[in-house]
Amino acid sequence: MTAPSWAAPAFFLAGLAAALWRAPLPPEPAFLPPPAAALSPLPAEFRAELLPAAAPSAHAASLAQLPDGRIAAAWFAGSREGAADVAVWFSTLEPDDWTPPRPIARREGTARGTQSHVRKLGNPVLYAQGDRLHLWYVSAAVGGWAGSSINHALSVDGGATWSGPEKLVASPFFNISTLVRTPPVPLADGGLGLPAYHEFIGKQGEWLRLAADGRILDKVRLPSERPTLQPAVVALDPHRALAWLRDAGPGPGQVRVAATGDGGRTWEARPPLPLGNPNSSLAVLRLPSGRLLLAGNPGEGRHILALWLSEDEGRTWKAARTVETAADDGAEFSYPALLLARDGRIHLAWTWRRQGIKHAAFSEAWLLGQEP
Amino acid sequence: MSAAVLYGPAAWVVLLGAAASFLPRGRRLPVALGAMGLGLAPLLAGESLAMALHGAFAAPSFTLLQLALRRLLAPRSPGYLGAGSAGVLLMIALVFYPPALGLGPFDPYGLGYQPLPLLLALLPLAGWLAWRRQQGWLVILGGDLLAYAAGLFGNLWDALFDPLLVLLAAATLVAAWISRRRSGRSVAGRW
Repeated sequence: MTAPSWAAPAFFLAGLAAALWRAPLPPEPAFLPPPAAALSPLPAEFRAELLPAAAPSAHAASLAQLPDGRIAAAWFAGSREGAADVAVWFSTLEPDDWTPPRPIARREGTARGTQSHVRKLGNPVLYAQGDRLHLWYVSAAVGGWAGSSINHALSVDGGATWSGPEKLVASPFFNISTLVRTPPVPLADGGLGLPAYHEFIGKQGEWLRLAADGRILDKVRLPSERPTLQPAVVALDPHRALAWLRDAGPGPGQVRVAATGDGGRTWEARPPLPLGNPNSSLAVLRLPSGRLLLAGNPGEGRHILALWLSEDEGRTWKAARTVETAADDGAEFSYPALLLARDGRIHLAWTWRRQGIKHAAFSEAWLLGQEP
Repeated sequence: MSAAVLYGPAAWVVLLGAAASFLPRGRRLPVALGAMGLGLAPLLAGESLAMALHGAFAAPSFTLLQLALRRLLAPRSPGYLGAGSAGVLLMIALVFYPPALGLGPFDPYGLGYQPLPLLLALLPLAGWLAWRRQQGWLVILGGDLLAYAAGLFGNLWDALFDPLLVLLAAATLVAAWISRRRSGRSVAGRW
């Protein structure tokens, strides 16, 4: 018995109608406007400490403030970068000190949750959105970091327990080569703009627009004249945002810049900053005063961690403070993460000699040169 | 665990069965079932072969799954992936993958997340398929769209095709070319 000739077209039309019903039609993207500029009342203060060690090798910290006000950190650590025992570790800053780190994502659990083989775990991104604490982290099944994809887990109890991870599908080629490193930017519709990057064949920054339910709504590129990675993004108003990118090109690099004027729908390359970038990660923050704070490694290595300030929406920058510097072979102070706490304190975490994660808390007054 | 998470390894189990069904005739079904069982069985550290393939190659497209299902359920019927359809798929892939993988500023893959224009573009394609009486491909396209609507895919492109389907299309074209050369040679020999 053969089907009538109208059956196949009718089946197609039914599928089309269902797909049209499901296809998202979100509003034009817009950033959640940053709060109006205000002077921070905090006096000059600075304190720094190492987080408790989780494993011999640690890298790529990310910070978030929990609903109860505590500062939380996540980073990856194991016997060495890329080893099978690497996990994403989590610790919170209590009044006295950081809590002993505990793993919140492991290779085996990620494999179970995503129903796919996982060889290694990498960069985590922690972000608090109301009562929800997001964790995005990269994993790779084969090859190097260029073969990575992004996983997402959620906690609604301040990081005590986590949902099973789900994979974000962000690439048509075996879903490889979409990575995260820097925190998202809140959008006006309750969604998030998640800075990401691509490493397979070419290296470039990417922008994932996420719906409030976590679905990807759009993916666009951040153009640049040179290969770039790990965009760090700050929104200036509902439509404008700037991204500062790691220069992954050959030879001496500079901090690369991209800008959007339409809520992240399209991006354009801007001239690079006259600040060196030795192919290393950056962090950026808008301060209560409206100044922008940039953290990164100047010069040709990762042995100096410096802070710069901009008073004119990123057009010009001046050196503010040097946080760490050393000249020995093992000196690496890299992969900064910045967070503005609700009390106005600025938190900075960074990779300390690949042996651990170091944290500093300071005020804007300290950044401006006042001494505690 | 969501259906979208389970889809990947489940589709790989079907693909393994379909691939195994190309092995010697007469034992097609048991071999296919055996391969599917092997795909599900925990092999290393509790992970199955289907999970390993899902990790390495991601979830197959719904088009590839439907072709595999047809191979499993109706092995004697002619396949849909002839030289013509394989050529069309290869052409789409040649236009799609280079920019989607980073060549140039535009990423066509992004269109699949809000796929209204893409869905409307499928209408003339469906009209052409109906005119050519390609009922099988109309059903496959309809199935892809239903799978997208059911939430198995977040991006419409992933429901429509994937690199393995493109590889299969390329292999089909090469096989067709070899077959044509052989038949040409035998005709020439008769002269």
